[in-house]
This record gives sequence, structure tokens and C-alpha cells, in this order.
Amino acid sequence: MGSFEHTLWLLSPELVLLLVGGILLGLDALRAYWDASRWTPYVALAGLLGAYISVVTLWGYEGSLLGVLACDGFALAVKAMALLATGLVVLIASEAIRMRHGLNNGAFYALLLLSALSICLAGAARDLLVIVLAFELFGIVSYIIIGYLRDDPHTGEAAVKYFLYSAVASAMMLYGLSWFYGVAGSTSLAAIAAALGESGTALRPLLLPPLVLMAAGFAAKVALVPFHQWAPDVCEGTPAPVVALFTVAPALVGFAGLTRVLVTVLPVGVSELSVDGRTLLITFAVLSMTAGNLVALWQGNVKRFLAYFSIAQAGYLLVGLVAASPRGVTAVLFSLVTCVVGNLGALAAALALFEHTGSYEIKDYAGMHQRAPELAWPLLLCLLSLAGLPPLAGFVGRLYLFSAAVEEGLLWLAIVGVLNSVVSLACVWKVARVLFVAAPRDGDRLAVLPTLVVALGIAVTGVFALAIFANPILVLLQPAAEALVSAVP
Amino acid sequence: MIPILSVTLFLPLAAGLLLLVIPRENVKTVQRVGVIFALVTFVLSILVWVMVAQANGEGGPLPIEDYEWIPAFGVRYHLEADGLSAPLIAMAALVTALALFYSERTVELRVKEYFFLFLLLETCVFGVFLARDLVLFYAFWVLGLLPMVLLISVWGGAGRERAAVKFFLYNLLASVAMLLVILVVFAQVETFDMQEAAQKRPYGEEQYFVNACIALGGLFFAFAVRLPSFPFHTWLSDAQGEASTPVSAVLASVFLSTGGYGLMRVALPLFPDQFYFLTVQVWVFPALAVASIVYGALVCLAQWDLKRLISFMSVVQMGFVTLGVCAASVGYALLSGEAVLEGQALFKSEATLNAGVSGLSGAAMQMFAHGVIIAALFFLAGILHRRTRTYDLKMFGGFSKRIPHYYGLMLVTGFAALGLPGLIGFWGEFFVFKSTMGLVPIFAFIGMLGVVFSAGYTLWKIVQHIFLGELDEGRWGQLQDMRGWEMLTVWPLVVIIVVFGLYPTLLVDMFNTALTALLQGLL
Repeated sequence: MGSFEHTLWLLSPELVLLLVGGILLGLDALRAYWDASRWTPYVALAGLLGAYISVVTLWGYEGSLLGVLACDGFALAVKAMALLATGLVVLIASEAIRMRHGLNNGAFYALLLLSALSICLAGAARDLLVIVLAFELFGIVSYIIIGYLRDDPHTGEAAVKYFLYSAVASAMMLYGLSWFYGVAGSTSLAAIAAALGESGTALRPLLLPPLVLMAAGFAAKVALVPFHQWAPDVCEGTPAPVVALFTVAPALVGFAGLTRVLVTVLPVGVSELSVDGRTLLITFAVLSMTAGNLVALWQGNVKRFLAYFSIAQAGYLLVGLVAASPRGVTAVLFSLVTCVVGNLGALAAALALFEHTGSYEIKDYAGMHQRAPELAWPLLLCLLSLAGLPPLAGFVGRLYLFSAAVEEGLLWLAIVGVLNSVVSLACVWKVARVLFVAAPRDGDRLAVLPTLVVALGIAVTGVFALAIFANPILVLLQPAAEALVSAVP
Repeated sequence: MIPILSVTLFLPLAAGLLLLVIPRENVKTVQRVGVIFALVTFVLSILVWVMVAQANGEGGPLPIEDYEWIPAFGVRYHLEADGLSAPLIAMAALVTALALFYSERTVELRVKEYFFLFLLLETCVFGVFLARDLVLFYAFWVLGLLPMVLLISVWGGAGRERAAVKFFLYNLLASVAMLLVILVVFAQVETFDMQEAAQKRPYGEEQYFVNACIALGGLFFAFAVRLPSFPFHTWLSDAQGEASTPVSAVLASVFLSTGGYGLMRVALPLFPDQFYFLTVQVWVFPALAVASIVYGALVCLAQWDLKRLISFMSVVQMGFVTLGVCAASVGYALLSGEAVLEGQALFKSEATLNAGVSGLSGAAMQMFAHGVIIAALFFLAGILHRRTRTYDLKMFGGFSKRIPHYYGLMLVTGFAALGLPGLIGFWGEFFVFKSTMGLVPIFAFIGMLGVVFSAGYTLWKIVQHIFLGELDEGRWGQLQDMRGWEMLTVWPLVVIIVVFGLYPTLLVDMFNTALTALLQGLL
């Protein structure tokens, strides 16, 4: 049970990521002797694949690790999602960075692997300190990644903006989490849950301030309205290969951490204990869905458009979290996967379109379906999946989310969500109109980078496969969610 | 066992994907392949019809395919063809094939994408008619909006963008209302299967009656926008005015029939008591139905644009569909003992069952007839437009001298639209009125007015203004009569109009069997 080898096996995904990250940094150090910059993306992909294999071998294990980490279905699902997202980001980023910047990119991929590591830690955390550690690790790695391509003047501004916002958010969240420690006398989630459960209603009034702080910090990290201001500027300012990570990773790390905290620490029916906390989250969800979709309608820059669209996606995810039932958590996990696939596919297509037209303005992509159909169609399909059109993956996720909300009696929240789906589709129509209906400026066909084609292929396959084979995935995720929700001491 | 339903359902989509692979330059190949596959789909739909007729005759099982799709959520891939869906599918397949044949000669811009979108639309419409699982139904329902909006916005007239956006948003709003009700129903009965959900009666208890009425209102809104019914019909005339001829034909005949179908298949079985309540106690649904008939006919009388006139004719004819379903709900209520009609002699259950089934059967007949008639009318209008470059009725006159063949076809189609006995349009109206007179007579009286106005706009606007009167020799002296391919587009529809008008048994038997089973399943 406590043997060293056993612990190593349970930690293997994280260890593989660390090891390969170290190798990549080492490759950078050896640049004087051997220029390995051609191989770094593949080393990174190999590392991700190795970590994924260890996640698969760990599947089905239920237990704790080092006392502060959990190795259960939920943690493994989050790990798998983080690895998938990072793999797609590596595919998207590799060619573009090599061609345009030619920098020492071993470090870049090491940073990407470390951000994946932070998401894995956030999903597995059973202790408040580990959650803070995971978020901070993600933050530090993010600041460097955003500012990585130094020669672009906008990146400096984006990095500083993100740093300041994130630092304040971290401070708020840390203060809130420390309050939980004060209330319960321990940072372990199980101990806090026990303390709150035992005390009955005595401690309830004390919990509102930390909940508010924690929710605010979380909202700022994940870019929920009204703490979302950093996301569009950061997404617009940084080059697409770098920003690919930031459309999905903050949501991943935020939801992975917060789900476990909310579900474990606030038992006895979320509504009973923290009716105000739940209202707060519902407010965030409604504001994010509505504002994200409505503002996206007016965006002319494709990266800002995708940023606002992902703000809206985070709102939908929060609906599932608010439901706080096994179905809700399953829905959140499933929708995270569909969001990852959809967002990264759309961003890959946007990057390729930028490579050809030199512009991120949507109106410059007029008639692209004739000049580059292998870019226009995946972009349309990924956006339609994000908007929730049947029979794509996003529709199944959305259906599950709203069904979870209706089951828990939050009918009007489902109504708001469903109305926002209409606005989402209107946003997608706006882009589709330019791509498919408008006439192209000139008519020659464009070539696409091979790694981007692979990434787009994975995204499109994912968008259809997740819908058609939704059942096997849901069957995998449901026990994880149930175990999480019922793991109340 | 070949899964004939899945093959029929996905053959158009497969053909469309095949077309996308053919190089853009081989326009003729794309067109020919598209039309051939559309005809093959039509033949398959006739096969399905025959299979259903056989199953009805022998009392055997209907063609059905039922597989698990997402058991974790309760969603199944459940297709079934019965006497209600099979004729509508065949009608949809025929009109799509004819529209593609017409498009072969008239569409030059981006032919590949045009044919693909048409075939995708055909798959979505078939899916709506065949699906017996609510999520599957909804998926095909919403997905069908995408090809329709692209067809209007790329290949339409001057105001096409605006019309397409209006169409899209209005219909999407209606669709999400349906999604909400489906989720609510699921929360109540834990199943997405249409038949199981109907049997378990969501919100069946007394204290949830208001909730159920609201849910039914949501469903009715969703289907009323698609039907279209007054007052949700305003998107149709804009969309029809801007769409090209074959797109208009398919929009009116194929796309709109899914609305009435949904009303019969989803709305009525899930909330029959509430449907009765909103028909007799609160009068909402039949009032909207007769408003569609009478108001629609009055608007037709005021139209001077031929295409808009035809589009409002859809509103009128779909009013009969709604009225028929209302009458059926009253029949259901009488049979289940929910209500007693005072002063009427209809207490014997078999007569009441017949009256109820008549209502539904008339509505189905009307949908089929409307599909055929309105497609023929739009094709004829398009044929005229190709020669005259205008839809303005004031410009026409005296055409009977120059284009007698066209005149004959338009006359037959116009008379069918107003419900002349001996043509297909009569039977739908007749059955609907027959059951409405027995069950909710006041609305039958008001609806009759609509028939009178129909005669008015058909004879005055269409026949008189286009064909009778003075011929402007200078302008229209060289008008050509119908060419071979134009005749080939319209004649099949006219033949159906006449044959099923004189001998509707084939259709009526199919509808009656299926709808009797549907109505009896509610009791």
C-alpha cells in the first residue's frame, strides 16, 4: 500500500511529464553541440503519449496518493483531457513557431508539458494547498508562455495584463481558501467536509465570505463574466500558436479544481448549505453565457471572437457544476472534452488562415471555402460543435448539461442556456456567412501545413466521434462523477 | 435484413458527400449523379410505402429499427415507418427529385454545394419523419435549418440575406422551445422514446395541469412556427419571396410538412388532455387555426406578387391541418370520458373514434396534398418567371391565348388548391370539416369562409389576372409555351393531383390505419 514502487506507479503520468520536460530543457542546453529544435515537438508528443498510456493503465484505481492527491476516475479523466489538449496545442504550435520564430523552443514545449502537469495536479488535489500549488504552477508557466515570443510587441502587453489579473485573482482565492482552513483547522478537503458536516448549521454563516472570494478568484482564472476582461485582450495580443493553450487550459484547470472543492467540501445538498454560494455561481453562469455570446456577435477579430465564445462555454460548463449531481459532473467532464476539441480545432483553422492572409480579421477570410476548403469546413464544424448544433459533440454535451440542470429543478437556468444557444448559432452564422457565402477576393487555392492538417483532422474526427460514440465515453465518466459526488464523509 | 429505413434515410447524405468529392469543373456529372440518387431515394421511399402497406394489410410488424445510441442517457436510434410517415416521405422524395431536376437547368452558381445542401436537407426531413426518439427527432429538426438557410442566402434574390437571417432566428427560437420541453418531459418520465413518454403521461397529475399546458404551449409554438400558423407565419413570405424556385418548392412542400407532422406525432400524444383543454375550454388552438385560414386567405386576396400569394396559400392550407388535430383532440377527450358534448348525438364510441381519426386523417391528407400542390404552383410560377422576369400579377393578362398548355396545368393546380372535388385538395378539407362539424362545429363554420376566399384569390388573382383579359401583344406576344423538361417537372405532380383526387383510397387507408393506432394508443 505505501510502497515506493506503488507510489511511483500512481504518480507516473506526472513523473513522465516532468521527466520529458526536463529532457526538453536539456536539449536546449545542448544547443551548442546539437541543434535538436526539429525534434522537440516530437519529444513532447512522445512524452504526452507516455503519460497518456500510464493514465490508461491506472484506470479503475480508486485511492489516495501521498495523502494529498487522489487517484480516482475524476482525476484520471482530467489528466486524459489535459494530455489531449496539450497534444493538440503542440501540433498546432510546432510548425508555426519553427518557421516564423526559430527560437529555442525546447523550453516552450517544456512549459507546455508543465502546464499539463498543473492541470493534472488540480484534478487530483484533495488538499487546499495542492490546489493552490496547481493554480500557481499554471499561472507561472502561463506568464512565461504568453510572453514567450518576445519579438512581437503585443505579447509583452498581454503577458503583463494576464500577470496582474491573475495575481490579484490568486490572492483573492488564497485568502478565501485560508478562511476554510481557519474554519476547519485543516487544509485537507475531507477534513473540512467533516468539520462542516459535524458542526451542523453553526458554521454556515461563516462560509459566505470565503465562498465569494473563492468564486471570484475562480471566475477570474477561468474568465467568467464579470472577471473576464483579461481573456479577449490576451487572446488577441498573443500569436495563435501560443494562445491556443489559453482558450481551453484555464477552463480545464479551473473546473478541475473547483469541481472537487465544491462537491466534496459543501455536501448535504449544495442548496441547503450555501444557497447564496449557489446563487453566486448561477449569476456567473448566466452573465457569462449571455455576455459572452452577445459580445462575440460584434467581434471582427477571430481570436477575440473565440475568446468571447470560450467565455460563453465556461458559462455553460458552470451550469453543469451548479447542478452538482452525478449527471451534472459527468456533463461538465464531457463538455470539457468537446470544448477542448472544438476550441483547438477552430483556433488551428484560424492560425492557418492567418498564415495565408496575414490577418486575423474575419472579413479577410471571405470566400475561404473555395480557396481553402480543408480549413473552412473544419472551422465551421468546430464552431457549430461549440454552439451546440446536432448531431455534433457539443450538442450532446449541451443536452446533458441542460438535462442535469432541469433535473435539479433549475428550469429557468436551462431556459437561459437554451436561449443563449440561439445566440451562439447566430455568432457562428456570422462567421459562416463570410467563409461560405461571401465571394472570395481572388481564387487561387492555398496550401496548409501538414501538422495543422493533422490537428484539424483530429478535431473534426473528435467532433463527430464524440457524438456518435458518446455512450462509451459517458459510461466511463459517469462512475467517476458518481464516486466524486458520493465521496462525502 | 437490410436496414431499409436507415438506407433510405442516409442515402441522400451519402450521395451529397459523394458529390463533394467530384471536381468542381464536372458540373454535368454532379447534376446527373445528384438527380439519379434523388430518383433512387424516391424509389426506396415507394418501397417503404409498399412495406408499410403490406404490414398494415397483414397486421404484421411495421418496418422498424431500434438500436441503442447513448444508453447512459436514454437516447436511442429508433426509426419507424407507419402509414403517416411513409406517404409524406414519398412526397418529400418526389418533390426533392423534381426540384433537383429543375435545378439542373436553372442553377449555374456553385452547383456542387447546392446539390449537397439539397440532399442534406432531404436526409434531415426524412429523419424527422422516421425518428421515434425525441432527441433524434430534435437533432434532425434543427440540423435541417442549416441547409435551408444556406440555400436561401446563397442562391436567393436581392434581399436574401435578411430573409435568411429572419428565417434562421425565428425557426431556431422555436426549435429551442421544443428542446426545453423535451428536457422537461425527460425529467418527468425518464425516457426519450416517443411512445413510452406518451404512455407515461408527463405532468399527468391534476396539480401539474398548468405546467403541462405551458409545456404544450412551448411545443405548439415550436410546431406553429414551422407549419406555419398565424401569428407566427411572417418569416415564410420573406423567405419564399427571396428564395429561388426549386428552393421555394422544397421549402413549402417538404420543409413545412414537418411542422404538421410534429404536431400530430409529438404534441398531441404527449399532452392530449391539455390539447383538448386548449381547444374547447380556452379556444386557443382552433382560433389560431381558423385565423390562419381566414386571415391567410384575406392576405392572399390582397397580394399582387405571385410568389407571395402562393406562400400565403401555405398558411391557409396549414390552418386546416391545425384544425384537424384540434378536432382529433376533442374526439380523444370524448372517447376517454373526459368530456361530454351536450346537445350532440356523438356518444357512440365508434362514431367518435371515426370522427377523431377523420380529423387527423384529414390533416395528414392536407399535408400531402399541400406538398404536391404547392410544389407544382411554385414550379409553374418559376417557369413563368423565366419568361417574364417578373412576378407582378398586374403585368400579366391574356396568357391563355399564348401558353395554353401552361394555362391548363395552372388551372388544375389552382383548382386543387381551392379544394375542388375530384382533385386531391378536396379530400383533406372534406375530412377536416367533417370531423370538425361533429366535434367543434363553430370553427367549421368560420373555416368555411376561408374556402370561399380561396376560391376568390385563385379565380380572381391567378386565373383572371394571368390568363384571362387582354394580352399585351407588344410585351408578351412572343411568349413560349412549356418546354419538355419543364413539363417533365410539373406533370408528375399534376398526375398525382388528379389520380389521388379521384381515387384517394390508397392514401386514406394508409393514414387511417396509422392514425387510428395513434389515437387508440392515447386511450
